Amino acid sequence: MKYYRSMVLISNDPQSMVQGAQEIFDCIKAEVKKHNLEDEISIAMASDISRMDISPVVIVYPEAVVYGPVKVEDVPFLVEEHLYKGRIATRLQAPKKALSGPIAWLSTREGSLPAEQRIVLERAGIIDPESIDDYIIHEGYRALGKVLSEMKPADVIATIKESGLRGRGGAGFPTGTKWGFVAGAKGDKKYVVCNADESEPGTFKDRLILEGDPHSIIEALIIASYAVGADEGYIYVRGEYELAQSRLKAAIQQAKEYGILGKNIFGSNHSFELHVHAGAGAYICGEETALLESIEGKRGEPRPRPPYPTTEGLWGKPTLINNVETLANIPAIIRHGAKWFRSFGTPSSPGTKVYTILGNVNKTGLVEVPMGITLREVISIYAKGMKNGISFKLAQTGGSSGSIIPASLQDTPMDYDSYSKAGVSLGSGALLICNEEICVVDLAKVLMKFFKFESCGKCNPCRIGNIRALQTLDRISEGLGTEADIETLQMISKNLYEMSNCGLGQTSGAPLRDIINHFRAEVDAHIKLKVCPAGICAMSGQSNLYNN
Amino acid sequence: MVNVTIDDKKVEVPAGTTVLNAARKAGVEIPTLCDHPQLTPYGGCRLCLVEVEGARTLQPSCTMPVSDNMVVHTDTPKTREARKFVLSMIFSERNHFCPYCQVSGGDCELQNAAYAEDMTHWPLQPNWQPYPVDASHPFIIIENNRCILCRRCVRACGELVGNFTLGIEERGSNSKLIADLGTPLGESSCIGCGTCVQVCPTGAMIDRWSAYQGRETEVETTKTTCVGCSVGCGLDVLTRDNRLVRIEGDWDVEANKGLLCEVGRFDPMEEDRERILTPMVRKDGALKAATWDDAYEAIASKLGEKKSIAGFISTRLPIESMYFFKQLFKDGLKAKTTTIVNGNSKSTMNLAAEAFLAATYDDVKNADCVVVVDEDITKEHQVISFFVKRNLPNGSKLITVTNGEDGLDTFAHVTIKNDDLCEGIKSIENQAKAVEILKASDSIVIIFGGHAAECSDCSKVLIDLAKKYHAKLFNTYDGANGKAAAIFGLVEKVDLKNADAAYIALGDEKVSQTFMKSLENIPFMVVQSSFNSSLTAKADVVLPAFTWLEQDGHYMNLDGKLTSAKAALNAPEDVAGNTAILKNIADKLGVKVTEDWQAAIQ
Repeated sequence: MKYYRSMVLISNDPQSMVQGAQEIFDCIKAEVKKHNLEDEISIAMASDISRMDISPVVIVYPEAVVYGPVKVEDVPFLVEEHLYKGRIATRLQAPKKALSGPIAWLSTREGSLPAEQRIVLERAGIIDPESIDDYIIHEGYRALGKVLSEMKPADVIATIKESGLRGRGGAGFPTGTKWGFVAGAKGDKKYVVCNADESEPGTFKDRLILEGDPHSIIEALIIASYAVGADEGYIYVRGEYELAQSRLKAAIQQAKEYGILGKNIFGSNHSFELHVHAGAGAYICGEETALLESIEGKRGEPRPRPPYPTTEGLWGKPTLINNVETLANIPAIIRHGAKWFRSFGTPSSPGTKVYTILGNVNKTGLVEVPMGITLREVISIYAKGMKNGISFKLAQTGGSSGSIIPASLQDTPMDYDSYSKAGVSLGSGALLICNEEICVVDLAKVLMKFFKFESCGKCNPCRIGNIRALQTLDRISEGLGTEADIETLQMISKNLYEMSNCGLGQTSGAPLRDIINHFRAEVDAHIKLKVCPAGICAMSGQSNLYNN
Repeated sequence: MVNVTIDDKKVEVPAGTTVLNAARKAGVEIPTLCDHPQLTPYGGCRLCLVEVEGARTLQPSCTMPVSDNMVVHTDTPKTREARKFVLSMIFSERNHFCPYCQVSGGDCELQNAAYAEDMTHWPLQPNWQPYPVDASHPFIIIENNRCILCRRCVRACGELVGNFTLGIEERGSNSKLIADLGTPLGESSCIGCGTCVQVCPTGAMIDRWSAYQGRETEVETTKTTCVGCSVGCGLDVLTRDNRLVRIEGDWDVEANKGLLCEVGRFDPMEEDRERILTPMVRKDGALKAATWDDAYEAIASKLGEKKSIAGFISTRLPIESMYFFKQLFKDGLKAKTTTIVNGNSKSTMNLAAEAFLAATYDDVKNADCVVVVDEDITKEHQVISFFVKRNLPNGSKLITVTNGEDGLDTFAHVTIKNDDLCEGIKSIENQAKAVEILKASDSIVIIFGGHAAECSDCSKVLIDLAKKYHAKLFNTYDGANGKAAAIFGLVEKVDLKNADAAYIALGDEKVSQTFMKSLENIPFMVVQSSFNSSLTAKADVVLPAFTWLEQDGHYMNLDGKLTSAKAALNAPEDVAGNTAILKNIADKLGVKVTEDWQAAIQ
């Protein structure tokens, strides 16, 4: 491969793109050409993370100098100073205080910010995601080489089991155990599927992994296919993630050219085919059995369980389905061993977790931190405190698989077991931080509106229950609520959990239960006093009941 | 076998049985809505939820397989509350105000389930969006306001009929039953088989003819056999006060397993021909009403002296009639006889040789490769096309060979068109893809009809092909009793030019213009018919006969099995049975006939 003197990375997260990252990219290319430096300098766009405050960002390696926010008119100066004359253009350098993400990682050496612990995002933002060479230089495909040359499938599963890795999609099911089920299932044909239909509101961790480091998922899928005995795989990517899809397709193509995908990988007996399948915008297709139906070309509706996908999955064959973040842990675990992985996080939930922080905080974005830190730490350290100093009221842990965390639980360690003991769930990793200015009835209404819209419509409790709950909340928010409405909401919430077919239905009633359990006084104020304490609800006395 | 305890009753069932079926075996009733015995369990309505010891939440009994030592409780406060919740939800979703609905009062599974739970009202405020009624189809009405989105119709349309017309639009609370991509049913790809109507638990899919004509408890049900074609579908004929109300498929009959086509289910409802109510004899050039004795006398005196009689019999008549017809005309009067449809009933295939390769209905239903030769089964023998089409999504292969258009062409993996059918069949082996499919298939069925069944060369090629690939042959005889007619030898070449008399046992069959024209110059013609037609107008003697719904008898289906027909309606006075008429004529003419048709058909 070709060597370059310097490498320039331009951030291309959505916000940077809006702010003209593409123009900056083109301009840098033109300037570099002007100075005849094309052979010495490589330019790439990299999907980076948590830099909303200084985007668009330009990083120059090997010095790892971070420039931001960069404007197009700054580019000639930047190229001339740094790349041509070799002097850091201090005028454009990002202010130290604002650094975060991988930049934070770089600057922690100077002791200015608490470190993130990067496992799944170790390369995102550091390598060119469209270059397999870059991935290989950064230890890429080493785990695969180790697996195919030194390990038996059973050893791989044993290592994953030993590492204690748990599914990062929301439910926290032990990954090694799931791999064991598929490996033990009878069948001549097996599949591995990567669930990249990340649709939980406010969650974008998988997107950044896929856009920033697509080869890590491919590597993990090949390792998984070897461990369970599969020879074909699918990556089901959310339809809206066009960049992730094109990067994955390019990465698969590169891997094929390098002999990493296809027949007899690395000269072993293992062969593996990988396809990218785009979703079509349905939230429910993130539910694993609905996802399988969707790949099969049917309407995305969850299947009854049992049979579980591990025994009868895609086209009736044993199928392993893992979330992107779960898979992104695999190469690192294989490379460094289970013991190393267990050194992060808590004993029951080892490793790290990627959180997407949003809401009324000073710094929103994405962090990867060890399991078991508390919500208070996340807010005060990584989110830099509540916005405008208004105190914290609750956090919503993301879409259907999460729940509403009141302030009283903000010192509970964030890991699967501690949270389930407290009766809440971690969900996909979205942390919607809300301050005292939000109204819980209004929040629940927004969530129920989402579920009403995204329920697949297969089973009655979810299809009809969610719209009835929404109508009841609407009446409450308009000052028409009655005491009986609380009972109705409780009944719907309880029955949704007891009676629904899939995870979406079972947890869609959770916001109803949570606002009544944790914020009963506030709901009561709406009903008895006809007052919205936060001043959000209209209380117009007229219910504009939603139609079906 | 696993042991399960359901409501303290122990029952032993095979592994893989659902809790619902195990409960039924144990005699425990569990209410259901979306479940239907003929359809894949769906688990959508959640009415059948039960408590399984050890399970975190309630489990749907229709999809839950039993496991050993499972303990199930079906009647607990929890399950009762769940059922009430589901029903409250459904009733609040759309306009389920029963008094307007034609299935209210016993025929509605939703209403019955609510009564069973002692529901008097639903606690949630209903708030629905009204939907327009889709009445664009000639037979079927979709009333979305009564739909509970159980998907029985959608599953029946895909899983049983293989037509995939019905589907669900949108998702969540916006879900709505639609045809194709939202087109009115009448303009959609619907083939009018009506299976959806038969499985609908509420009044959401209604058949125009039977709506408001009477509930299950007010009608009489007669199990009989359809005479629309040779498949021999089992029917439940629903009648009230000697009036046809509705025809449904009989789920228990092996041939069709409840499926019917438009011809079987809806066509009889549209019968509007004028009935013949009395025998008629031509006197002084005009047909005049006569007594049965006069009519028989006229026939006996004339037919006895004729030298060259042409005999025609409808394949819609039962074997009993056919046997008398054979004895009377073919054996007794040495007439030349044939069937009226006169299609491939004159199969040239050696019946004995064919029996060795003959496919059964089960073979067709389970075939992983079907070759269809010169027979558009989407038009004739439609139910057979359902068996073929519904397997296609599961990977079964289809090859068509025709000299024209075939309704299955669009689905076929290989389509062969050749004006010379023999060459067409032979060229299967020249097509690499077809050979590849045939070689890879384990159970091949060749369905043939039309010219392929009449031409001896074609038959030979087909038999060779079948032997080479271990395929089975499935001959689709034309007409309900086409196969029996072939066995009785009632498919001869009839020389109408020299015929001096014709006897046409028409029954209730409709006759074509060409057939009528071919009989124009016959000096003496007797027509035995249920309805007036231009043929009866030309006849010298007209004998009023039963329709298929009025007679008992037997038919032979394509499996070679006998099916029985039972009279569902009483015929008008003075109208006689087809079999009795033929027997009386034989007696008058002194031709000795026996009733031992069972021996003759073997």
